[in-house]
Amino acid sequence: MFAAKWSDLTPAQRAHTRRVLWLLLVYAIVLPPLVWIRSHTAVAGSVPMLMAVAAALPVLGIFASWGRYLSEERDEYHRMLALGRIAVATNATMGAAVVWGFLQGFGAMPLVEAYWIPLVWVVIQGFQACVARSQPAGE
Amino acid sequence: MENRLRVLRAERNWSQQDLGERLEVSRQSVNAIETGKYDPSLPLAFRIAELFGLPIEEIFVSPSRRSSKAI
Repeated sequence: MFAAKWSDLTPAQRAHTRRVLWLLLVYAIVLPPLVWIRSHTAVAGSVPMLMAVAAALPVLGIFASWGRYLSEERDEYHRMLALGRIAVATNATMGAAVVWGFLQGFGAMPLVEAYWIPLVWVVIQGFQACVARSQPAGE
Repeated sequence: MENRLRVLRAERNWSQQDLGERLEVSRQSVNAIETGKYDPSLPLAFRIAELFGLPIEEIFVSPSRRSSKAI
């Protein structure tokens, strides 16, 4: 998913990338009006919950795509790399969330919405991929 | 794990891409195996051996025998 060229991606990586791009597009279309409605109207009852679910669904779809990718990837080396990146990112993100949670609880840090956690998870994986790409490549 | 994959590939004038297509893996996977960064699974090792028509032991050097076996 973080290859330099589209042609370097495996078929499973291309399929995953296409799914994620479509889901990000849906997210970009759905989120702004929801935010506007929340900011400018007095929604009540179950409406805020439905709006929150609508905003979260594309992101949940991205995580579902990750799972589908791991089951579809036939190249064992790339599957191993992906699992390694996910393991490191998950450990780092969960650790950061725990630390930040305690810092918040003790009043040492401001409140941060939980939806930033998945973004940190993705960014850490991207950082790992950039480091991997900076290593000398083969022929 | 040390291996003769690069030599065997060169004897056939195959690029890493060519070998990858024959093994149904990516060029990066071939490179990782050749450079010892990744040890293939047993099914993939068998596919490699069958592709070159050689026993696995003539392509991959067992780590326990590395000190005594010359490639």
